[in-house]
Amino acid sequence: MAFARTKQGTRSALAFVREIGETARTLWWKFFDWLAMVEWRELVVIDILVLVTMGMLDAGEAGGWFVFLSFCLKILAGGKRRAEVEAKEATEHAGTESLERRLAEAQLAALQAQVEPHFLFNTLALIGQLIETDQRQAAKVHAHLIDYLRATMPQMRSRSNNTLGRQVEMSRAYLAIMQARMKERLAVYIDVAPELLSASFPPMMLQTLIENAIKHGLEPKIEGGRIDIRATTSNGPGGDILDVEVHDDGIGFDVHAGEGVGLANIRERLRLLHGNRAQLIIETPHDGGARVIIRLPFTPDIFAGSKL
Amino acid sequence: MSTDRPTALIADDEEPMRQLLRSRLHEVWPQLDIIAEAANGIEAIALTGLHQPDIVFLDIRMPGLSGIEAARMLFNRCHIVFVTAYDQYAIEAFEQGALDYLLKPAGGERLKMTCARLQERLGKSPANIERQLAQLLQGVSGASRGSASAKPREYLRWIQAMVGNSLRMISTKEVLFFRADEKYTRVQTLQGEVLIRKTLKELEDELDPDEFWRIHRSTLVRVDAIGEVRRDLRGRQMVRVRNFDEELEVSRGNAHLFQQM
Repeated sequence: MAFARTKQGTRSALAFVREIGETARTLWWKFFDWLAMVEWRELVVIDILVLVTMGMLDAGEAGGWFVFLSFCLKILAGGKRRAEVEAKEATEHAGTESLERRLAEAQLAALQAQVEPHFLFNTLALIGQLIETDQRQAAKVHAHLIDYLRATMPQMRSRSNNTLGRQVEMSRAYLAIMQARMKERLAVYIDVAPELLSASFPPMMLQTLIENAIKHGLEPKIEGGRIDIRATTSNGPGGDILDVEVHDDGIGFDVHAGEGVGLANIRERLRLLHGNRAQLIIETPHDGGARVIIRLPFTPDIFAGSKL
Repeated sequence: MSTDRPTALIADDEEPMRQLLRSRLHEVWPQLDIIAEAANGIEAIALTGLHQPDIVFLDIRMPGLSGIEAARMLFNRCHIVFVTAYDQYAIEAFEQGALDYLLKPAGGERLKMTCARLQERLGKSPANIERQLAQLLQGVSGASRGSASAKPREYLRWIQAMVGNSLRMISTKEVLFFRADEKYTRVQTLQGEVLIRKTLKELEDELDPDEFWRIHRSTLVRVDAIGEVRRDLRGRQMVRVRNFDEELEVSRGNAHLFQQM
């Protein structure tokens, strides 16, 4: 027993010594990095302070040694170490940059696939039917489809697309087609003040929210329902804020269904465009359904649009 | 089985599509009597019970019950033909399972062929397609949302939290970590934090164990959010969360999670 205890004691003492060693090593490297990176001016000031303090503590000699050693180290090894640290930072930076570029590419790829084949085929079938029964209506749906495709297809998109007005317009075209198909099962209310139409707004975000509301909220609901689109501005701490809201009274959220590509995509793009100043807010209203809000800085300038 | 004219029911949630199929069927098979139209899966079942048609045309994507779910309840009472605009998976499955199907807009030779086949089978009892339907149900996603069919375990993907007066939905993909905070649990995202009443234990039971790890009695961290794990001066393992400056302690009991790091 006694033997075992001694052995254990030795082991823990060893571990203790090792820990002290490791701590000392970490501290030393921290000190060394600091020394390499610190400005000469700052070092001189700090060294003078050290000298004065040590002098008051009656250890002026130790202070002198510290100053001498720190100068020597900085001259001899500082440059190399500094280069190393900077190189490491540059590599990390390059890492984030390439990550961001990959992300932007992934977004474009995802966006290109945004016209849902199911929607396209159903709409074409509808037009075929209407040509026989109601040609005027067929021509209308056909025109809406062209509007929608012009705004949706990436190769057709232009910079002027990046306004709230353009985005609402294309969504109107889409909703008109859906109303022709769903008839009384879909009611639409749009409330966007004219002065907000020129606000810059990233493309396809509003459309994704509306498609989600119909696909996951209203289409699966037997009696259908209504969709409300609203834009409001308010004063925030960092400037004016634009809220664009899509509210449906459909079947609501399934907490076990994973977040789709559409929402994740919006969140990622908002983060790249505006950092923490933009937000995707998802709510369950008291009376059911779903409410999704895109909140971003309000920029009324038409030319302030972005490429993403 | 009716003795005179054969009867059919059309089920599609979009009225123009019902009209379209009705007029096409009238062209290629004028004797067929379309006795009812249904706007969703539940109506399709009710009307089939009421009118006893020989044939039922079922759209796949319908509210209430999908066409495939409805077919499961109807297949031994009538002949079933599926109708779909576009659903690559379903089409492949139909071909393999030798089920009757039509592509929207249905018409022309294809519809004639289907009708000829149906005429041939009318006197016989409907084929047993139960097995094919069961397979389809497992595969076709999106067509059967909200169904009560048995699925592998479903994990919690959205966290509900009261923010002001509204009930916020936070995707688990957004959550960096959960921390027990006295009576509440703190949900941390890049945007900020909210408090919820669900305990850490309840969350741990409902969340996907591959998505969130319990690293401490009071901490659940999203695996994807872990930037690095390091030892501090006291030898404790600390998890650093990506893009966020708070470190989370790993308790000794959970140190095995990061053994190889």
